[in-house]
Parts: sequence; C-alpha cells; structure tokens
Amino acid sequence: MNRTPRLVAAATASTLTLALALTGCGRSDEAGTTDEGSTGITDGPATGTIEVWAMGTEGELLPELAEQFEADNPEATVNVTPVPWESSTEKINTAIATGEVPDVMQVGTTLMSGFVGLDGLAPTPEAIDPDAFFPGAWDTTVVDGTSYGVPWYVESRVLYYRTDLAQEAGVEAPQTWADLTEFAAGLQDAGADEGIALQTRGNSTALMYLPFYWQAGGEIMDDAGEFTLDNDAQVKALEYYSSFMRDGLAPPVLVEDEKVQNFVDGRLGSFVSGPWERANLLTTAGDDFAGKFGVVPLPSDETTASFIGGSNLAVLADAANPDAAWKFVQFATDPATQVDWFGISSDLPAVEASWEDPALADDDAVAVYEDVLTTARSTPAIPTWAEIEHELDLIIEQVIAGDLTPQDAATQMQDAATSIGTGLD
Amino acid sequence: MAVSARRRRTGIAAWGFALPFTVLFAVFMLVPVASSLYMAFTDMRGRDLRSPWAVNFVGFDNFAEALADPKFQQAAGNTLYFVGVAMPLTLAIALLLAVLLNSGLAWFRSVFRVGFYAPVVTSIVAVAVVWRFLLQPDFGLVNSALGVVGIDGPRWLTDEVWAMPSLIVMATWRNVGYSMVILLAGLQGIPRDVYEASAIDGAGPVRQFWSVTVPLLRPTLLFCAVITGIGYLQFFEEPFVMTQGGPLGATNSVAYEIFNQFGFGNYGLSAAMSYILFVAIVILSYLQFRLLRTEK
Repeated sequence: MNRTPRLVAAATASTLTLALALTGCGRSDEAGTTDEGSTGITDGPATGTIEVWAMGTEGELLPELAEQFEADNPEATVNVTPVPWESSTEKINTAIATGEVPDVMQVGTTLMSGFVGLDGLAPTPEAIDPDAFFPGAWDTTVVDGTSYGVPWYVESRVLYYRTDLAQEAGVEAPQTWADLTEFAAGLQDAGADEGIALQTRGNSTALMYLPFYWQAGGEIMDDAGEFTLDNDAQVKALEYYSSFMRDGLAPPVLVEDEKVQNFVDGRLGSFVSGPWERANLLTTAGDDFAGKFGVVPLPSDETTASFIGGSNLAVLADAANPDAAWKFVQFATDPATQVDWFGISSDLPAVEASWEDPALADDDAVAVYEDVLTTARSTPAIPTWAEIEHELDLIIEQVIAGDLTPQDAATQMQDAATSIGTGLD
Repeated sequence: MAVSARRRRTGIAAWGFALPFTVLFAVFMLVPVASSLYMAFTDMRGRDLRSPWAVNFVGFDNFAEALADPKFQQAAGNTLYFVGVAMPLTLAIALLLAVLLNSGLAWFRSVFRVGFYAPVVTSIVAVAVVWRFLLQPDFGLVNSALGVVGIDGPRWLTDEVWAMPSLIVMATWRNVGYSMVILLAGLQGIPRDVYEASAIDGAGPVRQFWSVTVPLLRPTLLFCAVITGIGYLQFFEEPFVMTQGGPLGATNSVAYEIFNQFGFGNYGLSAAMSYILFVAIVILSYLQFRLLRTEK
C-alpha cells in the first residue's frame, strides 16, 4: 500500500553501495575540498561535447539557445538532457556520488549548498564578474565564502492586485506596511471577500513571510555565520503578517487551489506571488483580464526587500570538459544572450545590464521586477536550510492560528535553527 | 562414493537453480536492509553520500533523538489514531459489504466487486484531485450536501480536528475493496450445510453471523487485519497529497516524518525512525495473531 518511503530508503541505500569509496570508517579531519578551478577560462572557441542537464521548461527550451552557441563554436556540440524537477535532487546526488556527471547543470538557487556539500560543483573562475548580476542572485551561488556557479535566471515576489477594485475603493498601490493594511481593507470595502491572501501553512510559507522580516530590518544570519532570528524585527514582522488573518483581511487558512479563481472572480483583492502567476491568471481568465490587475513591489518598512529565486548554472567538479563548460556558462550569462533567452523562455535575466534592453524595459508587466530584484534576497546557502525552513513553516502556522505569541515564536525559531545548525563544518 | 558425488552434483544443480533469485534477493533486499541498519547507527547525512564509510558510529543516539523529538511523538500519536480508527472501520465495512454481496445480489456481484475494488487500483494522484473537490470548503460536494440540510460543514482538510477524520474516511474508501474481495472469497469457502444445520437449530441471521460466519472466517480476517495494519502503519500517501501533514501537524504520520527527514539529508535519524516503525509493525502483527488465531 504505502511503499514510497521504503522505496526512497532502498534507492538511497543502493546508491550508497554503488558509491562505496572504501576509505575506512570514522570521519576524517581534513575536508575533501579540491581547489583546482578558479583559475580562468581559456580564450578561443569551445571544442568538444558539452553535456548539460536542465530542469522542467528550461530543459525543453534550452536546445534552442544551445544552437546559437554551436553556431559560434563550430567545434563544440551541446547535448541537453531535460530532467524533471521532482526527481532532480536524487538524480544529481546519485550522479555526483558515482562521478557520472554532466559538464553543466542547472541548479535551483536554494539547492546549491546541498550539492556543494557533496563536493560536486567546481568553484567559479575569476573571469566571471560578480558585479554583473543582481547581488541577491549572486549570493545564492556563494557557499561558505566561495562561489560555485553563475546566476542564470531569477524570479521575485510582488503584489498582484485588482486595479478595478482599487480604483473603486480609491486606494493607491501601497508603499508602506500601514498602506498595505489600509489597501487590503479598501479592496474588501469595494466588494472583495478578502483584501489579500498570504500563505498560512505548508511548504514555502517561510518564503512568503521572510520578505516582511527583512523589511522590518531582520537578518537570518549575521556575518559570523550565527543565526539571528530572535529579535524585535521578528516579533514585529510576525505580528504584522498574522494581523491580516486575525483582522479578517486575509483567509485565516489559505487554500492555494482557490486563490487564482477567487482573484479572477473578484472575491480576492490581492495576493503575493512570482512572475509565473501572470501566465496562470491569463490562462484561467483569458487575455482580457490583463487590464484588470496590476503588479507592484511589496511595501517597505525599515527597508525594501523581497525573495529572490530562480536557477544558477554550475559546472561539475568532475566535468569531462570543464573549459568548454565554462565557455557555455559565460555565453548563457552574457547580457545579449540573456535577452534572447527571455524571448525564448520568459525567464527573467539575472544580469542587470540585460534589463536596459527594450524587450524588458518597455514591458510594464516585466519592468516592475527590475527594482524589486535589486534589493531582493535569498535564504542562506547552507545545507540544512530546507530543514530550518520546514521548522519556520510550522512555527509561522502556529502564530497565525493564535497558538503561539510572536515573542515565543521568535525564540522557538532561534532555538530550532541553532539546534539544527548550519551543516557547514 | 557414488552417492556422495551424486549428492554433491544435485547440490550444485540446486544452487544453480536458486542462484538467480538469491543474487536478486541479496542485491535488492539484503544489501539495502543492511545499509539502512548501518545508517541507523551512524551520524550519516546527505553530504556523506560520496564516502559512506567515513562516518561515526553513534550507537542508539539516533533512536533516542527520534523518540525525544516532539514532532516524531506527534506523528506517532497521529499514526496510532489513524490505525486505531481506520483499521477496524475498514475491516468492519469490508466484512459488511462482503456478507451483503455474498447473501444476495448475485447478479450484480461482479459489478459491485469491480465498483468497490476500483479505488484500490486507482492512482492516488487522481483520487486526491477528486477528494479535494469533494472536501472543498465552499463549493465541494460534501459541504454542499450538508448545506442542503442546514449544516455548515467545516473546512475539512485545513481544520485541526477534522483533517484526520477526513483522511481516515478517504483511506478507508481506498482500501476497503481489497479486504472485501478477500473476505468474499473466504465467505464462499464456508459450506452451505453449516448454515442449514444452524438454521435447523433455530439460529437467525444475526446469530448465524456471529456463531458461524465470524469463527469460520477467522483466518481470512486475520490475513486482512495484518495486511491492512501493515499498510496503515505506513500511512503516507494521503497526508502527502492532501494535507502535507498539516494543519499544525495534525496529519503528520511516522512514514511522512521519515520521508521528510530523508529529504533533509538526515539519513541516520530517518533510518532509525524507519526501524522504530518496523518494530511497531512487528508488535501490531503479533498482537493480531494472538487475538485472531484459530482456537485449537
């Protein structure tokens, strides 16, 4: 009947036996890092075969971009293997453990530290300029002080709202926290059942909440690598976030499946989501709906902040053709290629210079993201983050349900994070 | 001499025949079992995948950590709640359906048999979509039906009290067909004349059920109870697709917690949790054998 966990166990166990590196029992003291990369990338065109793994839509569309690269580098062939997102982590873990790896790989920004922990990724050569990218995006490549990849595309969270309801209520797009509360109340007065929808439970609740914590001036970790979750900013942000549910401005328990339909029906005034939601809304409600909703940055408090996600391109430590691989990465993250890729996939460029191109700058639905991205931030690149995030999800849910005061929640967050640790040696 | 040579040859031939199975069993069963046992006693994490021997033995620390973890305790409580309610419910409904199908409705028997068995073979993904629609708070079928008789139905899957009962009903619906088919086969194996004899002795249908059907069905019931119990203790798919273990951990199960810990890379801890679950399954099965064994 319910066999999945055992299958996972069995699969992992057999992976282990395949990967038997007989080094004897007990942990060795020296870390197994091999610092061979980070020299540079040779000049001249790339040669040989470059194996690339990409996930989901990117995996399907990347061959189109690879053709351009092959045209510029006649001696090189790019083989793209699409990998489904759901099975990507296991597949990559197995590949790294056995050494049967591609040359280049797409890595979700939050997954970097896990693969670096396995010593699977090569350090980024100095030839790639960190300043070309949004700082939040570059940060996702850096694990324990070293960069192991290059930002490829980004996404960020913004506020979607019904322009017709806002007009009827006479409210302007919110700039501050107080504005947002008033804004949600206004949309509700104009006929929406709920002024705003914020995630209340389940996976990624913390990702929706954390921008508010950052806006209040909070930091997840300090420069010394210690967790700093128990502070006034946390209490303030939790208080603010849960106030929407408590005051009846947001559903006390959000059912994700209903969100888009309620928004289209005018029963929901606004919600926080990423760039993909636009396509969702237009497929559900038809292209005419584009005139009925607007997109604005999240409000700011002490500072401006949103969450930055997306994917990086990484070269594997055991890549067979590392030089050509880095050339491909360099090509894919070139400002002009990034604009082409936006045309192919609608993925937002990670390179700041690409945003000056009219294809992005003149599109109002896209241009709003530029400012958001300059201050958007990611969660810490530590191997244990997924576990800590899961704990935060559960604690935030309890605050919203009223089972936990923001003060106690902040303490619990700090305790949970410190007991799990960073996973970095 | 000749005898022992022949015996040796027979022995070699026998091993030759057994070899394909033995190799498959060793590679796909023994090695994973041994590896997971090894993991349970070490501090292995996801990042040790490349050098699985370079880890420290930690004795029973993982087991102690699991048992002291409030999330694991809550998951264990939830799993017991689920098994305690869903298993008797499933068996009772399966038995009731089997008796009804066996006693009448002969023409429709195969129709009903297919009908009740269909959920067993249907993909959980499809089932989840349909059930989410049914349990939808605002316009779902269940709450609409309750609305007709003036009851304001709860938010089934997101209410701390109602989420588990919702999953219990769903799991029962999914699994009742399996036990029903087995019990139906068992019922058809009970000779008619036993019923006739008891009827002559003056037993009504209720008396017949308790004094003839149930005792003669014991071995079949035991089989169904053990299989259902093992499946239910590993309660995973329903919370995974319907509630993600929420709300507030109310539908988090032991198997789901193991799955999560594996996902976080805590291989040692999750392997230890798996063995705790394994021991619980052994205990439950033992109790069922004691309770339902045929009296000599």
